[in-house]
Amino acid sequence: MASISFRNVTKRFGDVTAVDDVSFDIRDNAFFCLFGPPLSGKSTILKLILGLEKPDAGEILIDGRPVTGIGPAQRNVAMVFQNLALFPHMSALDNIRFPLVERRVAPDKIAARVAEVCEKLHIGHILHKPPAQLSGGERQRVAIARALVRDPVAYLMDDPISALDARLREQTRVELRRIQQEMGKTLVYVTHDQEEAMSVADGMAVFQAGRICQTGTPEDIYRHPNSTYVAGMLGAPAMNVVPMALAASLQVQGPQGADSLGVRPENLRVAPGEGARITEVEPLGGFTTISVDLAGQSLRATLRGQPRFTTGQPVALSVDAGRAHFFDTSGAALAAH
Amino acid sequence: MQRSLSFEIFRYTAIALFLALSLIPTAWMLSMAFKPIAEWQSSGVDLTWWPNNPTLDNFRFIFGHSSSDLIVALDRTAGRPILASLLSASFGTAIAMTAGTAAAYGLSRFGFGGNLPLALIQLRLFPPMAVMIPVMIMWAFLGLIDTWWGLALIYGIVTLPFAFWLMKTFFDDMPREIEDAALVEGCSRWRVFLRVTLPMMRPALASSALFVFILNWSDYLIALLLTTRDWVTIPVYMASLSSSMTGQLYGAKAALGLIAAVPPVIMGIAIQKQLVRGLTFGALKE
Repeated sequence: MASISFRNVTKRFGDVTAVDDVSFDIRDNAFFCLFGPPLSGKSTILKLILGLEKPDAGEILIDGRPVTGIGPAQRNVAMVFQNLALFPHMSALDNIRFPLVERRVAPDKIAARVAEVCEKLHIGHILHKPPAQLSGGERQRVAIARALVRDPVAYLMDDPISALDARLREQTRVELRRIQQEMGKTLVYVTHDQEEAMSVADGMAVFQAGRICQTGTPEDIYRHPNSTYVAGMLGAPAMNVVPMALAASLQVQGPQGADSLGVRPENLRVAPGEGARITEVEPLGGFTTISVDLAGQSLRATLRGQPRFTTGQPVALSVDAGRAHFFDTSGAALAAH
Repeated sequence: MQRSLSFEIFRYTAIALFLALSLIPTAWMLSMAFKPIAEWQSSGVDLTWWPNNPTLDNFRFIFGHSSSDLIVALDRTAGRPILASLLSASFGTAIAMTAGTAAAYGLSRFGFGGNLPLALIQLRLFPPMAVMIPVMIMWAFLGLIDTWWGLALIYGIVTLPFAFWLMKTFFDDMPREIEDAALVEGCSRWRVFLRVTLPMMRPALASSALFVFILNWSDYLIALLLTTRDWVTIPVYMASLSSSMTGQLYGAKAALGLIAAVPPVIMGIAIQKQLVRGLTFGALKE
């Protein structure tokens, strides 16, 4: 039951600035995603929240109170580590009840809590096994159970499902979302998978090299990326970004100062005509991805269904009204569309 | 993988040769320990691989029973040296492992001690002989000469660098996240060490302890200089097994050697399971 706030937090490791003057707020009960490429500072943010690392500058607030000087055990934040970090010398059951045993909870209460969590995660049948004898998915669940078993103010998860196969990943993230809502707790989730971030988060921060580029709801960031970097991070295939010189061939007029033009693949219209040429057609069932060549620039368009286009066919391109993005020379988004 | 027959033949021949080279001295000791004096004293054509008339006389002899055909009086029996070796090597190992593990953990996790690793390496580069004379004087001053505890103390000091370096590599290899997890789940630093780190380090502790124990167990030089009579250890005692009449008592030495091999072998077998299991098997996702 807690909000988490960063106020101008900086963290350095030697010469490397892992977190650079970062400020953001995570509201209570949010499913908040820290999203960015590897080594962009996301995991360090989690360690700072946990109290495993101390900020060099700035302040961290949990539930409105500064937590400087409060140790990891007292912060009461639960964590699922990227490599799970199960205790190899203990059975799954001992792993799960470890936080409660360490906090000297009464045995009957421990048993009740463990039973409840195990039912939620469907792991009642594997509790006697050590981690070494569990499958990847089972270890995963044990690690999540260890975090869920106590009553923390917030849960932190560092890319916890990256080792699972695609199907299990999809299943688990939906389940995590459901559990988070049932528990009514703040969940901070680190991922480098844009699909994961988009699908479950109700707030997110996009990271680049220790800095936050943009915060907001996934929808908002997707619709209004504030830079070419953020635009490129979200959405697959990525947004097409072309020089303004090609705007006319896309039948778009840009505002003053625009240097480049961004169009999401689903907003790019392809019709028989002149100006561009199809280089590749990838039918994917529900939709088709088409690559076109426009004056030497390769653009991609996502079209519904299986439209009748063939490789080499000349086509005319246009953009959905109001769906063009404009960026200045530094890559920052321009307000006017 | 399919290998050619000739390669397999070569491989097994090489292995057999290597095994023979390393095991023949051990086999010879085993055989000699059970030979009566007439057999282990013989030379040339009379030598046999296995005892013709196996006997326990050599063992009886070193424990003080006179033997019918070996008329030599020992001034002391093997019992006390075995006890001396067991006490000094075990306690020495305990000292080295306790101090070494604590130092290695502190350095690996918190960077305490700065140049400690280098200092400890330098300690090892020093020839032991060069420091033994000052040690003898200090030990004499402290009344530690010819005591098992005096020996244990110097063993602990001498083997500390090995314990430290072995444990440090193990601690360096242990994933920090596991300790972090325990911290987050409500442990104090000390509890993390007791509840998570040490239990996880059991295989590392066991193998390091075995290594250090064998070093202490087989020491000759230090025991020779620091013990005189009451607490001489097995190696020193073994060297004294000779007589003016018969020369070196090889049969008795072989019997004592066989006894001396028992503790390390037992330890090795006891920790074998730990050694093959690995440190963090199953803790992390691959």
